[in-house]
Amino acid sequence: MGRIAWLPRPLPTTIVFEIGYRVTDVPKLAASGVSCRFGDVLAVDDVSLTVGRGEFVSIVGPSGCGKSTLFNVISGLQRPTKGGIAIDGVDVTGETGHVGYMLQKDLLLPWRTVIGNIVLGASLTRGATQDDRAEAARLASRYGLGQFLNHYPHALSGGMRQRVAFMRTLALGQDVLLLDEPFGALDSQTRFDMQMWLLSVCRDLNATILFVTHDVDEAIFLADRVIVMSARPGRIARELPVGLPRPRTVDTLTTVMFIDIKREVQAALGHAEAGRAAR
Amino acid sequence: MTTSTTRPRRGGVARALGLLALPIAGLAIIAVIWNIVIWIFDLKPFVLPTPQAAVRAIGVNWSTLAPLTMQTVLETVYGFLIGAALGFVLAVIMSAMKFLQRLIFPTLITSQAVPIVAIAAPLVILFGFGMLPKLIIVAWIVFFPVAVNVLDGLAHVDPDLVRLSRVTGARRVREFLMIRLPATLSPLFSGLKIGATYAVTGAVIGEWTGTPTPGLGTQLLKVNASFKTDVVYGVTFLLTAIGVLSFLIVMAVEAISTPWTRRTTAWRGFRGAIDGYDGAHGSGMSPARADGARTGPQTVGEPDRGQ
Repeated sequence: MGRIAWLPRPLPTTIVFEIGYRVTDVPKLAASGVSCRFGDVLAVDDVSLTVGRGEFVSIVGPSGCGKSTLFNVISGLQRPTKGGIAIDGVDVTGETGHVGYMLQKDLLLPWRTVIGNIVLGASLTRGATQDDRAEAARLASRYGLGQFLNHYPHALSGGMRQRVAFMRTLALGQDVLLLDEPFGALDSQTRFDMQMWLLSVCRDLNATILFVTHDVDEAIFLADRVIVMSARPGRIARELPVGLPRPRTVDTLTTVMFIDIKREVQAALGHAEAGRAAR
Repeated sequence: MTTSTTRPRRGGVARALGLLALPIAGLAIIAVIWNIVIWIFDLKPFVLPTPQAAVRAIGVNWSTLAPLTMQTVLETVYGFLIGAALGFVLAVIMSAMKFLQRLIFPTLITSQAVPIVAIAAPLVILFGFGMLPKLIIVAWIVFFPVAVNVLDGLAHVDPDLVRLSRVTGARRVREFLMIRLPATLSPLFSGLKIGATYAVTGAVIGEWTGTPTPGLGTQLLKVNASFKTDVVYGVTFLLTAIGVLSFLIVMAVEAISTPWTRRTTAWRGFRGAIDGYDGAHGSGMSPARADGARTGPQTVGEPDRGQ
């Protein structure tokens, strides 16, 4: 852990030098002017956001702020009423198969082993090969699931099940991951372990992550940037960069900088709630 | 880590006997009460024979009863398989097309309200005295619990799971085979277990309408008419045994085909069987896995923190 020097993660404005000849500042993921209307209800209103390659962005907001709708739009499950989604600068609005998606429910198939669940994405699209399984076994072993490769999900604890679910999301081979309150159902100690675990996995894989949570501490602790959304219609109320140094530890949670950011996020959330109460 | 390892494991045979002890005791209690009733009311053997006498009657008449049993078993098994397949296919079709479900399902429910005894004779007129009307009656009884249960299982697949599969860009056929179909297994077996016990009744009713290939049902009418009450009870015991045995066979097949309900880890031969994986990568047997495989379902705790 200590051997790897910490480097600041690229923000959307940073110019990224790719391997080869191309120099690009195209963000990994861009939502532009996304609005979503269901009948009379405007669930998401003109949301624009960009996420840089390898960036970790948390989204917090009151219940019903359209976070899940936004995720459905980004994943391609839901076509927006207005606006579009681009990944690597390519328009993928309404197209599935471009991102990894993980929910609070682990949704593991009880009849598949840990390995079988991790390769589910391949099984569902083209059929899992030996290589897929070997790769899944390697991933799982590397991130603390080595003993449980052939276990059925019911034999695992909640935290372990979420790890398998996350591995399944990774094994899809997409470098944009949407995590919708993935640790919401876990107890606080397991949750903290999972956060540390997620940070270590992210450091290795350089995945681009959008992370929805209700937990302000969690949002700040994990992210490079926190987006606060307002209640219905869902709008971006505030964006806050999180300049906390990495690697982050349990001590990060009590630093002055962390508390300052938390105060600002909560103030923004308070405005979002107040805005709703006033309507 | 586990509580079950602290308790010495009993041998397989001893455990099986332990599991059988109570059911056998239950049957013994009924036999005792039966004998007491005969003794108190002083019933003649032709009115109510003792269960011992009924069992003895099976032995005495076995040479006659054996081929009849075979015939009834065949009708039961074939009818059961046809009914199960029909029920399953109907459920899959109905769940895929809601329009068809609304069209067919009320008719299916109505079919079960038709008194099976009443329809048996007309079926013979339609299809003759052969095997066919018997199979139809058995299948008629069996398909319903299977269809209802499987339909229920298909309807209760988590919509989030379907959403997840759509996000990956899954093919619909694969989604059906890997997510929906396995989800029907447990409800399917619930339906099959109900069907297995009812199937024998269907076979007997089918035989009552007359047949050139007699079975236990026809024999039942014959010995009843000649007041061989002990044989009547003996034949009834045989029919009951067929029903119970069918149930047990279905249960065994269920246990084999749904290992995840009882086991912690997959059988070595079974690992990845679902998509043709031979398990070559799972060769390094770790202690935890070996232990888990032996002690059955249990929750494994978090591994050492900070891993």
